[in-house]
Amino acid sequence: MFEKKIKITVLDATVLLIVTAAGLYLVYRIQAGLHYRWHWSAIPQYLFRYDTVAGSWKPNVLVLGLLTTIRLSIWATALATIIGTVMGLLRVSSGLFNRLIGGTYVEIVRNLPPLVLVFIFYFFIGDQILPALGTERLVSGISGSGRSLLKVLFAPPALLVPFLSALVTLALFEGAYITEIVRSGIQSIEAGQWEAAAALGFTRSQQMRHIILPQAVQRILPPLAGQFISTIKDSAIVSVISIQELTFQGMELMATTYFTFEIWITITGLYLLLTLSCSLAVERLEIRLRKGRAVGRH
Amino acid sequence: MKRRQEILILVTVLVMSMGLAGAAAAGKIQQELTGESTIENALKRGVLRVGISTFVPWAMKDKTGKLIGFEIDVANRLAQDTGVEIEFVPTKWAGIIPALLTGKFDVIIGGMGILPQRNLKVNFTIPYDYSGMSIVAHKQLAAGFKRLEEFNRPEVKIAARLGSTAEMAVRKYMPQARLQLFDDESQVIQELRSGRVHAMVASAPLPTYLALENPEVLFLPLQETFTKEPIGFAVRKGDVDTLNYFNNWIRVVEAEGWLKERKQYWFNTKEWEKQLK
Repeated sequence: MFEKKIKITVLDATVLLIVTAAGLYLVYRIQAGLHYRWHWSAIPQYLFRYDTVAGSWKPNVLVLGLLTTIRLSIWATALATIIGTVMGLLRVSSGLFNRLIGGTYVEIVRNLPPLVLVFIFYFFIGDQILPALGTERLVSGISGSGRSLLKVLFAPPALLVPFLSALVTLALFEGAYITEIVRSGIQSIEAGQWEAAAALGFTRSQQMRHIILPQAVQRILPPLAGQFISTIKDSAIVSVISIQELTFQGMELMATTYFTFEIWITITGLYLLLTLSCSLAVERLEIRLRKGRAVGRH
Repeated sequence: MKRRQEILILVTVLVMSMGLAGAAAAGKIQQELTGESTIENALKRGVLRVGISTFVPWAMKDKTGKLIGFEIDVANRLAQDTGVEIEFVPTKWAGIIPALLTGKFDVIIGGMGILPQRNLKVNFTIPYDYSGMSIVAHKQLAAGFKRLEEFNRPEVKIAARLGSTAEMAVRKYMPQARLQLFDDESQVIQELRSGRVHAMVASAPLPTYLALENPEVLFLPLQETFTKEPIGFAVRKGDVDTLNYFNNWIRVVEAEGWLKERKQYWFNTKEWEKQLK
């Protein structure tokens, strides 16, 4: 590989200058025109606080919100992957009825604003399904150690039912996109693979399990990881149904302190921290898979 | 003759047994109603779930993430007197009534003003507090405004929280003004501080606090509140048992002078402010 020499053209310099000037002007406008008194020094205490009783540092509302966002995103992606795999298989099934089920699900979910979907689920479906399953009774029956495990993995028992309905909503929403990822992954496998498998005397389900899916999974993984990042971003929507994730906690904090800009900027930073590090991980994964495939061919 | 007497007795017995069955059924219905009442269920569960919405100084989170405020004191005392644990469910104001109706919590103790329109959807207890609307305005935009009528003009923009009694008050007292609604109180305040609206309307004492905190930008056009509204707990409709319990609890703590003392602490002192920031 040759080292490429970095050359700065006049155009580059001009663009950089304009962008910097625009940025500085914005800062100036905020300072001059907004009459906003900044209280940056107050923000760190909302991330971590020193607990005088326990004598140690404890996460405060914003970090707790971030943790809820992470928990919500992980579980929602896990559930959405299950939904997406089932629906994706239905989408490429040979039966018309199955294809219609998968198609209807994807079309309905993808053509609705997520906000509307969240409200519909929260007030109607989540409300009818979870009590019918007896979630609340189940939760109150759990003993001490189970409770703390529940708190680490999901949410404190008191907030579990809303957390679960948010999780299901988010999973159903993301599931539609994962369905399409799975479908396109399967359909991207060359027809020759199907034909060869059929020639070997495999039944259709055997073809799928032994030949097509193992290859498709490799192609599905990178976009699936990308969808996880989308889930993190979309999880902010469930703040409208009072799930105590990062956006909701931030807005509650603003309602108390009125540090509107500082808190929004902090929230932006926290989301970026989360999504950018995930993006980096996905990039690594893609490079690894590509290498693995290249080695596999030899 | 004898035959007729027999028939008469038979009829009487039949009628009486039917009446008894009816009485028994009524008793059973009453039992079921009580068994299904919110307060009975809270006792069974050992937990009372209370819907709140953040609003200074009614309910807010302190530096450690703990909830404090007038409503929080009221709800805590209520739970303590009832002998149950308390669980707060912080909810967005605009969705708080649907959340109550769909059973996300048992009662709203959130400074909810008793309005006839609201009362058609939920049941209210007797008032445990009175609040009023007050207005705070931008110094440059609303310079010299001293009366409500001066705000009641099409070129004046007023911000308020969506679905609040403040919204109703603006519609009623300043119908000409352009009303801008936001989901959260903090957005309303930011709108005013940025000078995008002439004034905001909210329950006292928030406007007074704001004017004191930002003396170079904001001022109080009226010194007094311009409405007076009763504040009650909201519960689901048709739950007489719960309503009766809450009403009488309010009467008891009011007679004790406890409500007045708490109100004094949260509304007329600012000792609690250092817990927040």
